[in-house]
Amino acid sequence: MQGTLDLLILRTVSLEPQHGWAIAKRIQQVSREVLQVQQGSLYPALHRLEQKRWIKAKWAETDTGREAKFYELTGAGREQLEKETANWSRLSAAINLVLKTE
Amino acid sequence: MSWAEKLWLRLRPLLRREQAARELDKEVQFHLEQQIAENIAAGMSPSEARYTALRIFGNTSSVKEQTKETWGWIRVEQIFQDLRYALRQLRKTPGFSATALLTLALGIGANAAIFTLVDALMMRHLPVTDPKTLIRIGDTNDCCVNGGVPDNADFSLFSTEVYERLKKSAPEFEQLAAMQAGFAYRPVVARREGTAETARSMMGEFVSGNYFDTFGLRPAAGRLFLESDDAEGAPMVAVLSYDAWRSTYAGDPTVVGSTFWINTKPVTIAGIAPEGFFGDRLSTSPPAFYFPLMTHEAISNVPYVHNNNIGWIYIIGRVKPGTPILPLQDKLSALIRGWAKETKMFDNNTDKSLPEKTHVVLTAGGGGIQDLRDQYESNLRLLMGASGLVLLIACANIANLLLVRGMRRKMEMSVRTALGAAKARIVRQLLTESVLLAGLGGLAGLLVAYLGAQMLLKLAFAGAKTIPVNALPSFAVLGFAFALSLLTGILFGVAPAWIASQANPAEALRSGSRGATSGASLLQRGLVVLQAALSLVLLVGAGLFAQSLMRLQGTDLKLDSKNRYIAHINPQGAGYSTTQVEALYRLIEQRFHQVSGVKNVGISIYTPMEDNNWGNSVQVQGQVFTGKSASVVKANAEYFGSVGTHVVTGRGIGVQDVFTAPAVAVVNQTFVKTFFPNGENPIGRRFGGPGPKSPGDFEIVGVVEDTVYTTVRWKDHSMYFLPITQHAPSDDSPIEKDPSMYAGALVLQTEAPINNIEALTRKTLAEINSNLAVVKFQTFDQQIADRFHDDKMIAQLTALFGGLALLLAAIGLYGVTAYTVARRTSEIGIRMALGARRAGVIGMVMRGAMSQTVIGLAIGIPAALLCVRFVRSQLYEIQGVNVAVMTVAILSLMLASLLAGMIPARSAASTEPAQTLRAE
Repeated sequence: MQGTLDLLILRTVSLEPQHGWAIAKRIQQVSREVLQVQQGSLYPALHRLEQKRWIKAKWAETDTGREAKFYELTGAGREQLEKETANWSRLSAAINLVLKTE
Repeated sequence: MSWAEKLWLRLRPLLRREQAARELDKEVQFHLEQQIAENIAAGMSPSEARYTALRIFGNTSSVKEQTKETWGWIRVEQIFQDLRYALRQLRKTPGFSATALLTLALGIGANAAIFTLVDALMMRHLPVTDPKTLIRIGDTNDCCVNGGVPDNADFSLFSTEVYERLKKSAPEFEQLAAMQAGFAYRPVVARREGTAETARSMMGEFVSGNYFDTFGLRPAAGRLFLESDDAEGAPMVAVLSYDAWRSTYAGDPTVVGSTFWINTKPVTIAGIAPEGFFGDRLSTSPPAFYFPLMTHEAISNVPYVHNNNIGWIYIIGRVKPGTPILPLQDKLSALIRGWAKETKMFDNNTDKSLPEKTHVVLTAGGGGIQDLRDQYESNLRLLMGASGLVLLIACANIANLLLVRGMRRKMEMSVRTALGAAKARIVRQLLTESVLLAGLGGLAGLLVAYLGAQMLLKLAFAGAKTIPVNALPSFAVLGFAFALSLLTGILFGVAPAWIASQANPAEALRSGSRGATSGASLLQRGLVVLQAALSLVLLVGAGLFAQSLMRLQGTDLKLDSKNRYIAHINPQGAGYSTTQVEALYRLIEQRFHQVSGVKNVGISIYTPMEDNNWGNSVQVQGQVFTGKSASVVKANAEYFGSVGTHVVTGRGIGVQDVFTAPAVAVVNQTFVKTFFPNGENPIGRRFGGPGPKSPGDFEIVGVVEDTVYTTVRWKDHSMYFLPITQHAPSDDSPIEKDPSMYAGALVLQTEAPINNIEALTRKTLAEINSNLAVVKFQTFDQQIADRFHDDKMIAQLTALFGGLALLLAAIGLYGVTAYTVARRTSEIGIRMALGARRAGVIGMVMRGAMSQTVIGLAIGIPAALLCVRFVRSQLYEIQGVNVAVMTVAILSLMLASLLAGMIPARSAASTEPAQTLRAE
């Protein structure tokens, strides 16, 4: 689900600028390994979001002194994140409701 | 974000693509290294850590490719990349590329060449203002000066009075112009006053005063016609065509306002028609002069301008915008019906439904009078059909070549798929290649089209002074060729692309080159079979047209053309009145007999095998009128001898048959069969036109053989011959107005060929009268050959297309057989290692190749038999395919197949078993 991956990426980079591998690790950890995406599929999504100007990237040094490409949320990205989050909450609430009335 | 920023964002990756790609590599590399480091930290061995990192990442090149696709402008860039790659592929396989390009160039070129002609002859408008609003009253080429009811009572040829009446009573037309129908048959003699130039025979067309206005034309110099020029008694003026002004009078500006002697009458040149205007129809002899309708009688001494029974003009008009055409057509038809009744046109006719059937058809007039189109339409259709079949064969060839290539590259595609290339990308890549190939083929095809169209025009208008059509392909032709090549490319690029994309990489890689040993696919074989069948159809067609031409040319024309020369002359144009011509003809006979070597001097209104015919209704005295008619030639005493027509019984025309002598006639054998069917002796009997008195006009004094006039196709052609200066006794119209007194041709029979006979003829005529210009000079043989010209052209072109088809089919068969052999090299190697002999191997390959040809024949033979019906009307005395034509066609195809199969078969037989097995 492309939209879901986009939402997760936006949420992950909203806390602080992160590089690709860290984003992948974070999504896996936070989702308690439930979301089994191939790590590679992250990159087309990252570049697409960058094209949409929802995130921006810059090269910077990591803690260990290596050069890596860090992604951070833009203003437009923050708006998009809020919109998507609200959508998602509404949708999951609706699904929950349907499931509970069983 | 401003639009500039947006653009920059889109452009940046394109401009900095290399750098962006490097950054992406670095980014992915960093990711993998982080993962490997983590894996090692978790206790894996370095190699295990690396493997696991790659596994959970996924296919790296695929990821990179997908990522790059999110960058802007990627599509455009990929197209360039595909094109570069496709060009490299074409260069890498020159044999394939050359064959494919040649095939495409020939297929597309042949079609575009034919289409150039179709476009020029059938689709183009006259170079006039707003041609789309022009409407012609009439839809046939009924020509040139006729009375009576035309076929189906469908009128296209009108009298002067009908034109005047239509003009007055049809206000739906903004303008309504009239033009002479048969100007090409009635050239004028022109000489500019005050110059030393000799009189020339030139084309002149009589047109209404509003002719140029109707077409919305402006003069290149001087003025065009006014309505007042086209009035009885107005000063005689003419408009000169731009081409004639440039070529004959060197663009001399003083021509405007100067006097020309036209048929010895003084005419002032009012102005020059605009550049590019060639008249109201495409013609090999466009008018040099335009004259007002009302001057026709004075200039050409014709009796019909004020005769309401005789039609001689065509009408084109411009309707007011928004005029509904059908009601207008009904209204005009009613008008014509009224006129036909007034002139008692139906009185002598037995068909009582004629008055009701009388009508006119309104047609688009933007193309002018389309007689050239009607003349060539059936031929062009035929050629379009033939070239279409050639294109089909060419397409089959291209498809086959691309298929073969697609198979060969299955391996390459598998590798690329395995390495992560998207299937869509591979399909696009292959499509790019075939479209590029088709595009290049289309370009080469345009060159072939241009040269081909030039050749076609030279063939079609051989010997014509003016070729009315340009060989340069128009935009329509360019578009046609381009669309055609694109279609071919896409259509036949899709199949191999699809096959390649279906390849299961693992399977293909596993099986390697040993792959399927089945050789060519069913599709490929099917295409070869199709080619064989189509080329057989074309070969049979070519054979039939060749045979038709042979029959036509082999016809006994019942004449003798050896050492005969024909000079067409125009005594009326030289200023002679009908009462003066008898003396003129005696003088011509006398003067030409003084030229050494001249045996017979024939004088007649027209000659055998020329594009001319005068016909009349005939009633024999003592019989009822049956509606039959016969052609008439008026001639002098030496005429029969000069053309080689033998007298069968009685006598020919004699020197004694002068104007004052009793009127006599000589008839041909068909005339006797038609009008005296019970074997009565025709000698001494009388006939003439239908009516109470006229059947007694001419006494038959002799019967001659059926010499062929007009065309070989005219069977059972009744003819009669009259002394040239005699006049029907019952005809009380003044002899001064009898145009049949004027000779049109001079036939010279000589003892031996005379080299300078043309110059001698011109000189002798000019000595008699400097205005006796030669209209046309040819040997009798040339004149006859001209009448076979169109049939010869069709025979040549169908033979050309047949040959082309055969060549392409042979290339196709060769391609598939060679491919099969290449695929089966190892199998053949094993066979030979196991003891198969060379002859056996050759036999095996040839059997495969020939079986396709034989199936092609099995389809092609009935198809050819079926197709004959479409061309039967264009063949002469050929009802169906005969054994000889079919045999030759089959043998040609078999021979071509044998040659095409033999080359790969021999290479298969020279397979070195040890070598091929080692190569595995």
